[in-house]
Amino acid sequence: MIFRFCRNKGRFVYLNSYKQRARRFSISLGLLALLFALPTLSFAQAKRIVTVQCDGLPYDVVDRFVKERDPRTGKSQLPWIDYLFYQHGTHLANFYVRGMSLSAPSWSLLDTGQHLQIKGNVEFDRYTLQTYDYLNFIPFYVNTTIGARIDMPGAEVLDSIGVPLLTDAFPHNERFATLSLFQRGPRFVSYPNALQNKFKQTPKDLFDEWATGFEIASSVPEQMVHEVIEGIGNSRLRYVQLVTTDFDHRAHHNNDRKSQLFALKQLDAIFGRIWTAIRKSPLAEETALIIVSDHGINSDERVYSQGYNLVKLLGSEAGGAHHVITKRRLMMDYAIKGLYPFSQTITTPSKNSSYLQNESADYPTALLDFDGNERASLHLRDSDLNLLQILLQQLQRVDLTPAVRKATEDQFFAALERRRAGWQSDLDQLKQELGALRRVIERQRELCAAQPKEFTKQETEAGRDDEAKRVCTQLTRWLGQERNYGEYARIMTNLLGIQRSGFNAAKLKIGEVILPHAMGQRNSIYQLQNYIAGINPAGLTLAGDGKLDMNKSLVHVDYFSLLHGQAVRNNVQKQVSNRPVDMLAARVPAELLRSLVHEPDLDPDAIWVYGGTDSQALILARQDAGGRLSFRYLPIRNLTQDQDGQLRFEPASWRSGFPLKIFEDEQLAIPHEDRESWLSQWHTDLEWLHALHKTIYSNGLIGLHEELAFHPAGRLLDREPAGGDETLMRRLVRRLRENIEADLLIVANDHWNFDVRGFNPGGNHGSFFRVSTHSTFMLAGGRNTSIPQAMVVEEPYDSLSFVPTVLALTGNLRDDSNPIPVLWEKGFRRFPGRVVREVFANPEIQKIAVTGATESP
Amino acid sequence: MHHRPTPLRVRNSVVSIVFFALLLLVPQGSFAQTNKSPVESQVRDNAQLFRLERIPVAGGAELITIHARLDGIENSKTPNWVPLVTILRDTLGDQNIENDRLRYVWPLTYTRPTRRQRILGAVPFLYMRVGNKQNASSQAPPPVLDLAATKRDVWNKLFWTALQSVLIDSYSAPLKASSRSYQHNISAYRKSHIIRALSVLSLYDAVEGSQVFSSSELSEIQARLQLTDKTFGGLVGDLNLDRFKDKTITQALDDRGHNWELLRQRAEAESLVFEPLQMPDGSNTHALLWVAKPDLLVNHGRRYDSRFLNIASPWSDKRLLAWNGYTETRYFDADNRTVPADTPGARATEMIPLALYGLDNPKIPMVLVDFRDGLNPKRREMSRRALQDVTRNILSFSTFGDLPYFLGRTVFDLVTGRRGIDVNQPSRLHTYSQLKLLLSLNQSLDPELREQIGNRLEKVSLNPMENDLESEARLARQQYEALLNYAKQPEGLPAKLDRDRRAEMMPLEHSRKEQVIFRTANILSFGTYTHREKATPDMPEKLDLARRLGYHSRFLREVAKSSGQVDVAWSLADIKRSLQFISEHGAGADSTTAKAAAAIFLRTDDSDTRRFCLDSLARMTNPKARIELLRLSQLKDLDQTTKGLIISYLNTSPPAPVPIASSGQKPITGRVDQ
Repeated sequence: MIFRFCRNKGRFVYLNSYKQRARRFSISLGLLALLFALPTLSFAQAKRIVTVQCDGLPYDVVDRFVKERDPRTGKSQLPWIDYLFYQHGTHLANFYVRGMSLSAPSWSLLDTGQHLQIKGNVEFDRYTLQTYDYLNFIPFYVNTTIGARIDMPGAEVLDSIGVPLLTDAFPHNERFATLSLFQRGPRFVSYPNALQNKFKQTPKDLFDEWATGFEIASSVPEQMVHEVIEGIGNSRLRYVQLVTTDFDHRAHHNNDRKSQLFALKQLDAIFGRIWTAIRKSPLAEETALIIVSDHGINSDERVYSQGYNLVKLLGSEAGGAHHVITKRRLMMDYAIKGLYPFSQTITTPSKNSSYLQNESADYPTALLDFDGNERASLHLRDSDLNLLQILLQQLQRVDLTPAVRKATEDQFFAALERRRAGWQSDLDQLKQELGALRRVIERQRELCAAQPKEFTKQETEAGRDDEAKRVCTQLTRWLGQERNYGEYARIMTNLLGIQRSGFNAAKLKIGEVILPHAMGQRNSIYQLQNYIAGINPAGLTLAGDGKLDMNKSLVHVDYFSLLHGQAVRNNVQKQVSNRPVDMLAARVPAELLRSLVHEPDLDPDAIWVYGGTDSQALILARQDAGGRLSFRYLPIRNLTQDQDGQLRFEPASWRSGFPLKIFEDEQLAIPHEDRESWLSQWHTDLEWLHALHKTIYSNGLIGLHEELAFHPAGRLLDREPAGGDETLMRRLVRRLRENIEADLLIVANDHWNFDVRGFNPGGNHGSFFRVSTHSTFMLAGGRNTSIPQAMVVEEPYDSLSFVPTVLALTGNLRDDSNPIPVLWEKGFRRFPGRVVREVFANPEIQKIAVTGATESP
Repeated sequence: MHHRPTPLRVRNSVVSIVFFALLLLVPQGSFAQTNKSPVESQVRDNAQLFRLERIPVAGGAELITIHARLDGIENSKTPNWVPLVTILRDTLGDQNIENDRLRYVWPLTYTRPTRRQRILGAVPFLYMRVGNKQNASSQAPPPVLDLAATKRDVWNKLFWTALQSVLIDSYSAPLKASSRSYQHNISAYRKSHIIRALSVLSLYDAVEGSQVFSSSELSEIQARLQLTDKTFGGLVGDLNLDRFKDKTITQALDDRGHNWELLRQRAEAESLVFEPLQMPDGSNTHALLWVAKPDLLVNHGRRYDSRFLNIASPWSDKRLLAWNGYTETRYFDADNRTVPADTPGARATEMIPLALYGLDNPKIPMVLVDFRDGLNPKRREMSRRALQDVTRNILSFSTFGDLPYFLGRTVFDLVTGRRGIDVNQPSRLHTYSQLKLLLSLNQSLDPELREQIGNRLEKVSLNPMENDLESEARLARQQYEALLNYAKQPEGLPAKLDRDRRAEMMPLEHSRKEQVIFRTANILSFGTYTHREKATPDMPEKLDLARRLGYHSRFLREVAKSSGQVDVAWSLADIKRSLQFISEHGAGADSTTAKAAAAIFLRTDDSDTRRFCLDSLARMTNPKARIELLRLSQLKDLDQTTKGLIISYLNTSPPAPVPIASSGQKPITGRVDQ
């Protein structure tokens, strides 16, 4: 009898048909023949991957120093990078970040190979103010110690969407990864070992270090290298990953050549050690060593990067007098409280607020994430919630004249009714999702209780203990979501329960109808252009028709002109403009544009880029049947939205000065005479990349769309189940991601940054400038990996290419960019990025046509 | 009321008198100088700002002097060249850089304080300058460091610290206070000139590039000078110098950029005008803050936050409204950029200087000149010193002996340090010293403004031993002349050189125990006794060999310390040359060289280099070399030919020890069978 495990049925089935058996036999024979016929397929592959993930390693800087000779040795200033990746390996001269040049989003792309799901180093949930801080390791380590967490927040979020990480492609006991933003499971042992190893130097070196000042901070990175080298010696490991942040850290602080070269030399020496360990290991010829970086850095020896304080602007009267929440403490190094690493959020109150004085703890109205520093994401509280709160406060006064009271009440209900349908619909959906969540929680509670508490060594090595913890940490997260969203739903229910009949403002508790600690729904363009920031000092004023004069009664701010119009007084560096903000960008639903741009089949999301009243652009997107993205850049002027949602703008002719400065860029790979025509057409993302990648903003056009549009991925793309809780839970997952969407992306001008945590005069990243997005991807390997020697790949690629290329190198990718079945089972799906074909010495032989299939498993 | 002198008081008085006598008599340097005579020099004009002079010294050495054009000090039509730093390089009279040795560093502005300056330097709480030294003596100037004997500096420092703590502190509080005050002032005075020398060297390097000093020499000078700031800095090994220097420079540039940006942002926030001041190499070491005169009326009464600026509000200062001090008219374009007066559309604004800040401090920019309150920077500078002097010297609190004091001080230090309060901060000696150099070199500052800054700056100094800018330039010239005379006289620098070389011979001729005894004697005699070998005809040859051995040994150790295959990062030709030298002359090479040769053997595939490694190991008499050879012979993955070669080396008796260095250990001479 022959049994086979049937994936669809989830059990073993008996193959009783002769035909079935014959078919399987012939397939087996065919596969065997294929293996003999094409031996290179199975052998010309990397059996082990060692990646060094370098935070913020700019290709241009590395390239410059590799090509520079050290006068002492006559060799390259970076001899190991030169030897490994220039003389004996392959490096990509045009590898770019897709999206923002910011660590958490960029690593999420590099680690998954899927379109962007994580939009910042810090994200805020608009409904609950829950923060996702993808960079803070300390709470992670504390939470793992008490068993409340097992993965870094980034890995948790990607798990919830069902997007696996590159490390997940390798079995638990065949992979080793040091501390990283998407770390699974803590490595407690690294810390005591780091300290121990610090004292394993020679006595003379130890004494010298003591005499000149101990470098305790460097002991952990050094330990990581040590562990990776140990890992390389373990032939069982198939994937070894080291993360190093030293260069990024240095370049933020120092723009000088010496300091950056010093940091790079240390990194170069690490490559020497790793390569030596690889050569000593049994899998030397089958090992590929890869450097990859998440972004470049805008650092120039002649210029200090200048900071601009958006928190201060937002707290000022002109800026809307917001109480501003940030995840990073302002001037952290100068605050005693800065020593405390567990702060959830930091509130900077405004002394100028006209209606929320001393209420910063309950009613913050702006959230700002400025990490990376060349950009900031800004959330403002739903302008209508401000309006309702202001009007309610006024209605609770006893000194209003009857006329003003009536007008105010009219206005209150007008505003409420205008939003009621939308809010109610959203609330109804949320309640359904919460219902499903509660049921899922009950099941998860049982699952958690059923998890074994003790594990054998083999089970631990296979990661079973971590899996068990994951079940329970998922429960903890769901409980938190249920609590927070439940509270949001309760207060919104109260607000929507207010009816005109029997309305008595005096009896209302504002905190019971206007949710504290929430931003509400994202503001529309209209709201951002007419943002209600407070009440006029003169109070409410009636118009001639007896209604409230909204213009005179309330303070309005147009955030586009306000932010873009900022200028500073001290302009002391000739390379730096006195205007800190380069452009602003926001997602616009394409349905609002369809009738205006006359384009069918638009993707749901378009991007509006604001570079001043006369210099604006719309980035339209669409996808073909194969999922390939195309974009059109539409130059426009004066985009406005009315209260009913209707958009208006004036089309503009191509000229210089539009956002991203494409038309005038000398590096645009389109002849001058053809530019207007070419730029006015649709092109695929690859065509845009070819044309744009050497311009000042490089692939910024693609990056803006990647960053601001939504990209369904992972389980959200799988066939929709018949309904029930799974559908609702998917909707909840989508909601959780949508709720972190900011109102505005603010992009800094060249050599400006928005860091207010401290000072980063050395350089910054986060923008779409080529200097910030131009990153590093280099490979070298043993003979059997077939990675070409001394090859420079000039073809431009972006972050989406990394994972498919690594999987192709290891024989885990099919020629249709789908993962092999084993990985499909683990949740990997078709990769939208291109494999770097040049890396394969003979692409025809080594295109990893494992099955030759063109359909997903 | 009169007290009868008690024996204790008498003893204290005697100790005090002896102590003061000692202070006045202990020489700053051990040079004697008599005649003045012109010395032939080979002058090369490098550029407008710096000039390098190399003067040969009889006996095989040269004086290398960096002159700077300090037009900022005197307004004259001719360039105002001032010698700033001189370094002695002992070349043994040949062109071979392998046996060169850098010796003394003379910052020529550094002089022996006058008797008055010394006495006042010992007066506790006298935190002020007391006038200038008018003329340098005809003696050779004091060096700040002997680069070839940095360890001596450490032991001297430790000896004085122990003497102070064990002996002097146990006597009367006044003696304790004055001796500590003197020590502090003399040490700060030296430190400020070391800082200046470092600045001059790095400026010269940045502007001119390494032309006379090799990059490793310059690196060594800079690192050794920086290490004088660390208690045990003189003991740091050569191989770790680069790392320390790189780390220090990185941190210093980080601080500078950080403070530049902090000050710019604070100026912007308070509507003041920020102007960075640059050294000739373009580095922003200081910055001025101005207020636009028209703003005084517009912003009158405006809220002002003095945090980090540390000056009084300009918006409520009536003196500024009727300001009759220095002002300057600046022109700005529409983007607020400073432009020439004739730029179309430029708007003129009268500006009043408020303060000048040093940017090379950790954490915060420090105010050096407050144009409205001359004592403001001084008060801040004094705060830490006064606190220290009162608690330690008067109240005799000990950090580890008084728990409440320890806790209080820790909290106070944490709060002031963390929050960047300019009280109880590290001394602004560094930026003070740099500003002097900047004022001398910067020709773009208006002379009147420069003079005002210079005058105010002198008030910041807490050290009675400091001289002002013009005096320093004058003293530098005089001292340089004295140094040249000293170099010219046979009984001057050449004789000193000879004595130093004979002292250098000591480790080559004596066992370790004897070396320890001689060094201890040197320390206990306050440096007056130094053991020197007798001059012999073969001394130059021995020295040459020892120095070259040191050179190659250091190179090999550096190669061995680097990561991975040595072929990748180093030139094999250089490695082989050093190994060849060891195999030919390095019988007396030490164990670290043996370890380095073995490590290089393991990290190269080049058969020639490997053979050189083995050859050099076989020639060393050090037992470590035999151990390393044995270890190599036992390697499993070694091919038979190499293994056979190693064993043949092991079975060959090592050459007889050459009396160039003594290890004090016996060689291993066992036979090994293949």
